[in-house]
Amino acid sequence: MSKQRKFLILIFILLVGGYIGYNYVYQDHRDIQSETSQIEITAPYLLERFKTNDGAALLNKTITVTGTITNMEEGAVTLDESVYASFSEQISELNTNDKVVIKGRCIGYDELFEIVKLDQCSLLNKTND
Amino acid sequence: MKNTIILSIIYLAFMATAIGQEKYATKTGEINFEASVPSFEEVKANNTNVSAVLETATGNFAALALMKGFRFKVALMEEHFNENYIESSKYPKATFKGTIQDFKLSEVSGKREYLIKGTFNLHGVDKNFEVPAIISVNGEVVMLTAHFVLQPEDFKIKIPSIVSNKIAKDVNVSVVFSLQKQ
Repeated sequence: MSKQRKFLILIFILLVGGYIGYNYVYQDHRDIQSETSQIEITAPYLLERFKTNDGAALLNKTITVTGTITNMEEGAVTLDESVYASFSEQISELNTNDKVVIKGRCIGYDELFEIVKLDQCSLLNKTND
Repeated sequence: MKNTIILSIIYLAFMATAIGQEKYATKTGEINFEASVPSFEEVKANNTNVSAVLETATGNFAALALMKGFRFKVALMEEHFNENYIESSKYPKATFKGTIQDFKLSEVSGKREYLIKGTFNLHGVDKNFEVPAIISVNGEVVMLTAHFVLQPEDFKIKIPSIVSNKIAKDVNVSVVFSLQKQ
């Protein structure tokens, strides 16, 4: 009886350990859309920070950026010619010159185009005037 | 009067250089890499936000990938890639700068293979490299694709021995750039 009990306890520990291990190895990706953003910043100022080497602290952070759309591409917009934001979902309701507030993950400064890039963006607010 | 003439000469000179500097560029180039070992978890990532610029007059080509833009299927693998191997906070980008050998845009008809000679910068290490690339032109779009192999140790990327049998020594990289006329 006691041997059987030990065996059951061992099985239980293995199952729990396996479950925790599996969840650790196959944990979910970050969900940028549900994360609270660390900072709210205008597009030109965000670019300025990276140009003056003050942007490293923002890398990989979820941030909110405000600006005017200066260029539209498939699945991405450019704000004030300073920030390139690629969206995780299709965007259909946006147009050039819209003033928008977007949330996304800052992935760094692209010196070829002199632009800061964000990915996994979502639209928080827009006004067109 | 003299000033106007000088100004217009300068203006014309700028115009001429502007015409000579025809550029094709993209911000949505794609890089895939794979270092999988059979029967282990696949080690594979892709980045669809790679920038590239081609100057057709000189054949100069430059590309830049932000390391944090590489996405893996397994989130923990992505975390390890960024924090332990590629150290993307310290070295946020990888770049390639080079020249396409014997390149003339007007001579590209259909698909043609070229050699790009240049320098990779990855993980803070420079390495000279020759990349064979296939280029095709379709109206205002220049398509550039390439496949090549990189070794992590060339770029001082250390793979801990505990996982080294799960990550291939040769990393297969493929790139696709659809460069739009600017």
